[in-house]
Amino acid sequence: MRDEDILIGSLMEETWLTLEQVAAACTVEPAWLLRHLDEGLFPHAESVAGVWRFSGPALLRARRMRELERDFDAVPELAALVADLLEEMDELREQLQRG
Amino acid sequence: MEFKDYYQTLGVARDATADEIRKAFRKQARKYHPDVSKEADAEARMKEINEANAVLSDPEKRAAYDQLGRNYQPGQEFRPPPDWDAGFEFSGRGFSPHEAANFSDFFAEMFGRGGGMGGAGGFRPQGGHSRAQGEDHHAKVLLDLEDAFTGATRQISLRVPRLDAQGRVTVDTRTLNVKIPQGVSAGQVLRLAGQGSPGMGGAPAGDLLLEVHFKPHPRMRADGRDIHLTLPVTPWEAALGAVVTVDLPTSQIKVRIPENAQSGSQLRARGKGIPGKPTGDLLLDIQVVLPPADTPRARELYETMAKELAFNPRGKD
Repeated sequence: MRDEDILIGSLMEETWLTLEQVAAACTVEPAWLLRHLDEGLFPHAESVAGVWRFSGPALLRARRMRELERDFDAVPELAALVADLLEEMDELREQLQRG
Repeated sequence: MEFKDYYQTLGVARDATADEIRKAFRKQARKYHPDVSKEADAEARMKEINEANAVLSDPEKRAAYDQLGRNYQPGQEFRPPPDWDAGFEFSGRGFSPHEAANFSDFFAEMFGRGGGMGGAGGFRPQGGHSRAQGEDHHAKVLLDLEDAFTGATRQISLRVPRLDAQGRVTVDTRTLNVKIPQGVSAGQVLRLAGQGSPGMGGAPAGDLLLEVHFKPHPRMRADGRDIHLTLPVTPWEAALGAVVTVDLPTSQIKVRIPENAQSGSQLRARGKGIPGKPTGDLLLDIQVVLPPADTPRARELYETMAKELAFNPRGKD
């Protein structure tokens, strides 16, 4: 492999993503994300000086909620509840693996 | 290419109503949801179910599929006649071109006509403007924990939909060699600028966002940049104290075990975890391992201890 073939990425410090990045990576409209943020359904985000920023797990959260809403016609609150439960399950599975 | 029977995938009759299809899809989606399903092939099945639903839940796609599929049996060799889909307009239903790239070649062959929408198979355009920044792509990259200490170069394959000169969508496999820098931690995102979908009308391409995950390691686990490592010690090292050597991915360090250490005691070596700002710590979980009493001499030593040490780990009986 030649050195020039190797792509060098930038590590996103503290893994903060912008609203547009999360929306684009998860194929949702920014308005969809904003609506869910306003309704308090998106815990992996915080507003700093009026600008939303997202942590790494937000990507998975957004994808899960979008799929639940699309596949089961779930109302956003139900999709958020299921996403909460799945996240808790992820955490417990991780703890089990450590055990 | 084999013909795919989408009705069979969802378990519905060919004359099923839209409502029956929706119900069957939900039932299957619940059964094979990759987060909760116990089925071994849940992820692959979910992909098939999504693909079947993308076609059968969309009246235009379903009509086209029915017209073409009338004479085919599942698994039969399939080759669509040229221009078979003239007169159909595909509008899509909430699947991104990137997701559609995961669908089968059969799907790509049938619904691969872009229809000027700039996306795969007539799927929902992103924005719909003549000049639009390319879509960001998101993928996971699985690393060995050692890679966080040393950095690594990984080959990553992505399936990417592409519109050819005839307006048909083909799915390309793109292989990228990506340098993972030293000091990454689980969940962190690596951004490769301009490696997402190409932009439209001269707009910039999207980015590729790689989310870092670590494979389970037999001895170590990462917690942010801190590393937890189980350190097996002999009973005499634990009781009398000792200096032991610990192998780390890029170095060896010496650690002092304090006297009377027990299984479950934890030692912290500051700044010996994953490098970064700040560098993580190394947390050593002490595990006392007993030598087996499998020789007369070993038994004798244990018996001497039993006689001479007044020790009951369960307290007074």
